[in-house]
Amino acid sequence: MATSSTSMRQSTLETLGLGAPLDAFRNGRLPADTASLVDQVFGPANDRGCLVISGANGIVGAGKTMQFASRLQPYGVTVVGLDMPNAPDGIGQKYPGLVATFGPEGAARIMGSIVQLKYDGKTLPPALAGFKPRFLLEAIPEILDIKKSHYSTFRAAFPGIEIRSVTSGFPSRELGVGVAHPAFPHEINKVFEIVEEKPSAITQLLWSMGLLPMEVGDHWAFILDVLFCGVTSAALQYHERSNTPYWKIDKFVRKYFGPNPLRAHDAIGAKGANFLTWSCLHHLSKEYGPLFEPTADLTERKDTGQGWYPPNHFRPLVDWALTAADEEEFRASIAGPIIQMTALMLHERRSHLSQMNAIGEICAQFRSGVLAMIRSMGAAKAKSLVAAYHVQNPSAAKSAWHAEALDRISDPEWQQLYVNAEHDGQVGVITISRESYNSDVDVELNRAIDWLTSAKIDRVILSSDLHLSTQMVGADTSEFYPALDDVAAGQSLSARWSATARRLHTDFKTSVGVVTGKRCLGGMLELISHCHFVVAVKGTQLGLPEVTLPVVPGMEGCHWNFRKAKSADWPKLMTMLLSGRSVKAEDAVGWLIDASGSVNESLAAAWAMASGTSQIERRAFNAGALSGLPEPTGLPAVEGPSLEAGRKAILDCVRASCGASLADAIAIQAKHSAEFMKTTACRKGRVGSEFSKTMAV
Amino acid sequence: MSRETTLYPRARIPYGTWGTSFFPAWQTSALAEVNIGQFAAESMNRILGLRRVSTSALEYLILGSTIPWHWKFWNAPMLAATFGRRIPGFHLEQACATGLQAVLAAAAQVDGHGGDVVGVLTFDRTSDSPVGVFPERRAYERTFALNDVWENFGFDPATGKAMIQTAGAAARKHKLDRREVDEVVFCRYQQYFEAKNSGFLDKVCVPLDLLSVQGKPMGRIDQDNGVKQITMEALREMRELDTCVTAGGQTHASDGMATLLVTTKERAAELSPRPEIDIKLIARTEVRANPSMMPEAPSLAVQKLFARTGFTMDDIAVTKNHNPFAVNDVIFSKLLKHDWKKVNRTGCSLVWGHPQGPTLTRSLIEGLEEAVMLGGGRVLLFGCAAGDVGIAAIFEVTDAGRKQ
Repeated sequence: MATSSTSMRQSTLETLGLGAPLDAFRNGRLPADTASLVDQVFGPANDRGCLVISGANGIVGAGKTMQFASRLQPYGVTVVGLDMPNAPDGIGQKYPGLVATFGPEGAARIMGSIVQLKYDGKTLPPALAGFKPRFLLEAIPEILDIKKSHYSTFRAAFPGIEIRSVTSGFPSRELGVGVAHPAFPHEINKVFEIVEEKPSAITQLLWSMGLLPMEVGDHWAFILDVLFCGVTSAALQYHERSNTPYWKIDKFVRKYFGPNPLRAHDAIGAKGANFLTWSCLHHLSKEYGPLFEPTADLTERKDTGQGWYPPNHFRPLVDWALTAADEEEFRASIAGPIIQMTALMLHERRSHLSQMNAIGEICAQFRSGVLAMIRSMGAAKAKSLVAAYHVQNPSAAKSAWHAEALDRISDPEWQQLYVNAEHDGQVGVITISRESYNSDVDVELNRAIDWLTSAKIDRVILSSDLHLSTQMVGADTSEFYPALDDVAAGQSLSARWSATARRLHTDFKTSVGVVTGKRCLGGMLELISHCHFVVAVKGTQLGLPEVTLPVVPGMEGCHWNFRKAKSADWPKLMTMLLSGRSVKAEDAVGWLIDASGSVNESLAAAWAMASGTSQIERRAFNAGALSGLPEPTGLPAVEGPSLEAGRKAILDCVRASCGASLADAIAIQAKHSAEFMKTTACRKGRVGSEFSKTMAV
Repeated sequence: MSRETTLYPRARIPYGTWGTSFFPAWQTSALAEVNIGQFAAESMNRILGLRRVSTSALEYLILGSTIPWHWKFWNAPMLAATFGRRIPGFHLEQACATGLQAVLAAAAQVDGHGGDVVGVLTFDRTSDSPVGVFPERRAYERTFALNDVWENFGFDPATGKAMIQTAGAAARKHKLDRREVDEVVFCRYQQYFEAKNSGFLDKVCVPLDLLSVQGKPMGRIDQDNGVKQITMEALREMRELDTCVTAGGQTHASDGMATLLVTTKERAAELSPRPEIDIKLIARTEVRANPSMMPEAPSLAVQKLFARTGFTMDDIAVTKNHNPFAVNDVIFSKLLKHDWKKVNRTGCSLVWGHPQGPTLTRSLIEGLEEAVMLGGGRVLLFGCAAGDVGIAAIFEVTDAGRKQ
């Protein structure tokens, strides 16, 4: 059924050749399913081929072997792990993690689908043919000639085999095969940067299995590596100028930007990670000039394999502090080169802007994606930081500086990095591509609502974007940091976000919140609960874990759902709030959500609700003061006075906000939420601890 | 050696690239609890960072310390590694002459093309001391345990005397008057506090924040802890421990570090925030006094130096010495016929303590800063060391940017 639709910007799902989220809702099904894609890639069940992962015992290979085997085992696809006879057993090391995730039986099933074969690097083992290789994921060392020879060997033995390289540096055009560049940690990180001429069945298969393929341009080093190696390089250049110890620079980078680039190198394994970072920067410097020139200490550590943090017996003794002027210089030292590198990638149109931004957050641990960071400071400030960096490092100004690429911040692609909206003239779909709610999402969500209402769309579906955001984990708790010292900041945040959430209730005739990922928690559940209907896929975990942090829910979680539920169900809501325990979607129908089913059933149900064709009635909403709230019973014991204080604060907030009218409740909830954030209990909890660890350095 | 001679003509000390920690007394700071070598190296890195000198400029590192510290075996290369530089170097010691000997060794290193930028890092912790266990088959104990600081202070194996006895013996030899010695002490404290109140110490000493093993703040070293104003009355009332020696008239144990660079004239101009200032080493000498006459040894060294170079006290703009006993200064005045009030105008080790390794390095840095404030001139630096040794050196500070 092809009906025209319009959107604020292109959805990232479309870049995979899978249509837009609106199409999925309208069609009542996801655009692709794993079973048929497995058939396409590996052949039909009666002639099923295998996936070969070469270099399977390496850090990347072993992680990907686990990730693919756990997803392909149900479809009868064997994963052949190929490696040299003397390679240490990387796959075996993953087994405990597999047991922890899938249990002993699941782990045994998955390991049973993995076959390990050894070879000399030149001649393929005869037994391999028996598994009918259809797809080779190459994860061997980053040496171009060896890789190309490897592909020739496979193509000669298995004509027509699909090959993807996990290379972090070589362009597809140099390799002669497509690229599927994964992100660390490899057994759990779902992101793959994909280089191919057009979206392939392999890429769509990755998506259908819950992984995050993102199409990127074919360049030396991909987006993740430019950002990660770039921030590492910036940190090392700062060290060179200031003597600031590596460990302290790492803490400052974490404080102001998010990543711990040097700790990450040590965690990954300094020997390999140093080489990869050096190799990436080396190739980039050949292509783009001094901006990427590896520093002398990186080169030294590439050769020696030394780590960056001091060993335990040399834990640092002398602290380093930044004056206000130092801080300004430090920000320019790190942000300057990162902005210049990002401008280069924008100039080269390396990927969809939302993806470029998301890669920085999901894979390089930037607290706010690089594009969002640039957007928030504005082009002029961004350029001034690059100019300040060029004073520090004049050679970087000589090439690869595309300042003009920052001049399009007002374009929708820049403005809607996290939230998109589309509509077909009748129903709108708002999608959020960030797993945690922050102020950027809040602002973009308001713009999306404005865009739909200005087009007279009064029926809307709110969902994750079916691509970049596979779950909805709640509020980004780093947004709470200012509130730890300032009640007014907490109140403002709570009131602002709650006001946005209320627009889902007030600005549309019908709004439907849809949860398609594994979980919807905290602030995201509070947000989505404001929709008139909520649909969640069977098995999805729904919960308000704030009490475990502890914080008091700030987006009306203490009263909104009570107003939609029958009083008989209030004890369930009370238990959920005060225990922090999640409930499965199918167990929450009628009191927390309105429908639950398979993914396709949920998509269809949501569309029916939004279109007005659903038989499910909207739950009544009580905007007055509620009375008769139950006393909490049967709650599990909490550990420690902080959590006890959190539970009491939430209970107080529930009583006060439910006991008020809807008009007053928003301010009451905000006040309770903000006041608790300034307490010792919150300071001693997870948010306070994270703040101390990351910001008080 | 003559007035025109420059010792180590290739070597220069770049102005303003130096610094010392404060020297907390006894166990009054967290320094009493840490690996002092590691502290010194990390502090050197911090000080050079504040001075805008990248440690990547360093080609060689010379350590000076006198008391064993954890992992001393690994020496300068290890401490350089704590700030991420893999450079060679070595360690030297000569009791309280260490701080000057390390600078002289660095100058020799530069002059001999052993490295164009040589770091000098001196440090010690005298507030507490390791105890060495020595197999001594000829000693009746068979195995001998020695507290490195206190037992050495108390016993010079060559003479059988304690350090403090050398002060009393020298005072008796030179017929010192206790009242004058007390006046010197009082003056030295006044000089120190005047320098401190004027902000002079801010040019020399760098506040340093210490971290615990958990990475939590363990305290800030931003004072010469334990140094208090002193009154003449209190000094007069103090009991004599030996002739003319009281608790007030001798220095105290303290902990700390000091660092400076020695380099070529060209590199000094690049590294210094004031390239117009040229600092070079003019002359040096050492003497050994008669047994247990340590406090007169520095004066003898200065006399020898002047005799060799032709300089007199009139040629000296700044005079600084290591004076563990006030007796030293009175003897110097008598032998050199120089008013002790003109010595140590910005503080001295009698007041801020005696961490041995960095003592004369801090004195030198203070002296060079004072000379720069005066618009240039020669700095005479001297002091005593264990074994009745005296050491002296002359540095010359020229400020080409100074209006005449």
